[in-house]
Amino acid sequence: MENWIIYILNGLYFASFLFLTSLGLSIILGVMGILNLAHGSLFAIGAFMAAWIVGAFGAKAPITIFVIALLAALGVSGLMGLLLETSIIRPMYQRALEYQLLITFGALLLIEDLIKMTWGGTAYYASKPFDIMGNLVIGNNQYPLYFLFVILITIMAGIGVWFIMSKTRIGIMLRAISMDREMARAMGIRIRKLNTLAFGMGAALAGLAGALIVPTTPALLGIGMEPLIMAFIVVVLGGLGSLKGALVGALIVGETRSIGIVFFPEIELPLLFLIAVIILVSKPQGLFGR
Amino acid sequence: MAEKKIGRRQFIKTAGTAGIGLGAAGILGSSVKVRKATAAQTRSIPKTPIKIASVSFLTGAAAAPFGIPGDNAYKLCAEEINKNGGIMGRKIELKSFDEAGGADAQVKLARKFILEDKVDVILGYISSGNCKAVLPLSDELGGLIIAYDCGTHVLMEEKRSPYKVPKYTLGFRSSAHLGIDNIGLALYIKQYYPGIKKVAAINPDYAWGRDSYLVFETAIKELVPGVEVVKALWPKLFTTDYTAHISALIGSGAEVIHSALWGGDAVTFTKQAIGMGLFKKARMAYSRGEPYPQEVGMDYPEGQIICCAGTHYFLYPPTDKWPRNKWFVEEFQKRYNKYPTYPCYHAYQAIYTYKAAVEKAGALVGGWPSKEEISQAASELSIETPSGILTIGEDHNGREDVLVGISKKVKGYPFPILDPDRMAIFPAHQVNAPAGIRTEDWINSWKA
Repeated sequence: MENWIIYILNGLYFASFLFLTSLGLSIILGVMGILNLAHGSLFAIGAFMAAWIVGAFGAKAPITIFVIALLAALGVSGLMGLLLETSIIRPMYQRALEYQLLITFGALLLIEDLIKMTWGGTAYYASKPFDIMGNLVIGNNQYPLYFLFVILITIMAGIGVWFIMSKTRIGIMLRAISMDREMARAMGIRIRKLNTLAFGMGAALAGLAGALIVPTTPALLGIGMEPLIMAFIVVVLGGLGSLKGALVGALIVGETRSIGIVFFPEIELPLLFLIAVIILVSKPQGLFGR
Repeated sequence: MAEKKIGRRQFIKTAGTAGIGLGAAGILGSSVKVRKATAAQTRSIPKTPIKIASVSFLTGAAAAPFGIPGDNAYKLCAEEINKNGGIMGRKIELKSFDEAGGADAQVKLARKFILEDKVDVILGYISSGNCKAVLPLSDELGGLIIAYDCGTHVLMEEKRSPYKVPKYTLGFRSSAHLGIDNIGLALYIKQYYPGIKKVAAINPDYAWGRDSYLVFETAIKELVPGVEVVKALWPKLFTTDYTAHISALIGSGAEVIHSALWGGDAVTFTKQAIGMGLFKKARMAYSRGEPYPQEVGMDYPEGQIICCAGTHYFLYPPTDKWPRNKWFVEEFQKRYNKYPTYPCYHAYQAIYTYKAAVEKAGALVGGWPSKEEISQAASELSIETPSGILTIGEDHNGREDVLVGISKKVKGYPFPILDPDRMAIFPAHQVNAPAGIRTEDWINSWKA
């Protein structure tokens, strides 16, 4: 039983990153119809930003500095999202999907080079917050409190996004755009501004996920690739543009991976794709897609 | 449990026997060949510098633990050689290049080095994939290439034993392959933990991880009869979350866990495993784990079995008994504020293998030797390095002893070091397959 608690917690921890990353991807895809291949690079910016801040200033008060680093990562990635949207994404709205893929892939390469120019090609370590938070004892097992911290932050971020999307005027307008873009325009919604905002919000969530991961793994070039691939699986599973879909998709992928590694280690990744295939065959629009 | 301290006598015995025996055989054997191969005895020595292209990961996951330290060691050695008059009076002009970009990019770069830049030698490659892609160019394009750090045992081996050696006339690897690491680990476990019943493994899911595990599994089953592999995990390269793997390993009940994880993956796994208490229940056996205690610091757990990819360690051979290691460690530390790790020693081996081969061939031909003559001189060559004695076999592959130890916190060091009382050196003949015989075939023949 204790082992099962740990397996479930492992799944929740991994699902947290997937949720934050795929939520951003899903908002961008749902509201703007843009398939953003550079989303993993925005995750990487958050990771490098946080690792750099914690590494440079976190010796004395790592938790306080880490909280500042989380906010900074969120802000810088969000800002980068705004810049991307206004400069190279905006002319792509009316273009075919292949143009979007091409331009966002170009953005991915551009951001990777930008990271290399800013932080160099070496690893950044920021493990202090993970080290000092200590562990929770569960029977014969121990579980790092930092992992629970990540789950908590993700829940808070998820509630925040839900609140914005469900209860605020901006959120209602964003949902209107995602449902029917032309009708929303006809109703006088300023689509251009809201597109920029949605892209910035999605980017900021990716940056937050990146920042949360660096206390347990060094920030390295290419750190955003794994989350990007996983986030695509989640978005496809959960359905495009759906907050609920991102949440359920992330939970399915996180828990399947966690339990799959324990019992079927040779097919860790194929298992996820198998589930994706089954869901897509039975429900092509994803679990909560329209 | 038999515990063994490496004393002066044992060290001199191991290094000396290997050095004198292999050295004499190597130098004599290859010099005869060169003499036979060369008719002209006097030649001019070019006035231009020797062009060396060194290729290591300068960006990406392998940069911090391997590429940058390796590249730093190249620079240190090239400066040292130049300070002492160069190679046969010619100074070295060393240029560093990034190994990132994949095998295709490296093949293009190597072609450029050989055909356009006309470099004298390429010293490079950490990735086994890059080594496998680039080394065939040596004979195809007529360029001397010395692979310095990549570990796959299949680089110089063929599909069936016995096979013809060398595989490449102008292609070398100046270090031993992953066979020594994984056989060394199995021998160490047999020596210090003979009663173990359950082992597990976590290795990256590509050739490096699969090959390392294959050799370890074959060796441990031969050496410790009755041992059971209870779990073998294959995370993707650059995995950021190992929590599920760690839980699976804890649940397996394994006593020792084999791993060839490297770079950021090894650090990530270690950090997360500390948090989840894995090291209280099992001990790791890292095939090339030597750099990570220094990388992780005091949090690195005690009691982990660590192999050094040879006898490459800043405390071995003891610096008071082996001046070359004393010089190397002190110079490296002075310049880069870190102890040299095994890729640094590998870089030393590559550049000094080239130097020794040129000087040996040069002395025989009476001037600057051709690439073919350098190649003949390098085959079965033995040189003194900071780690002891390195021999290049007739298969053009390095043959080295291997050092395995166990991590321990010792006063005066900011990270756990290898316990000086529990280091074990396994001599080259015990961990390297004979030239022309595949490593797996050789291990499988042990019983017979």
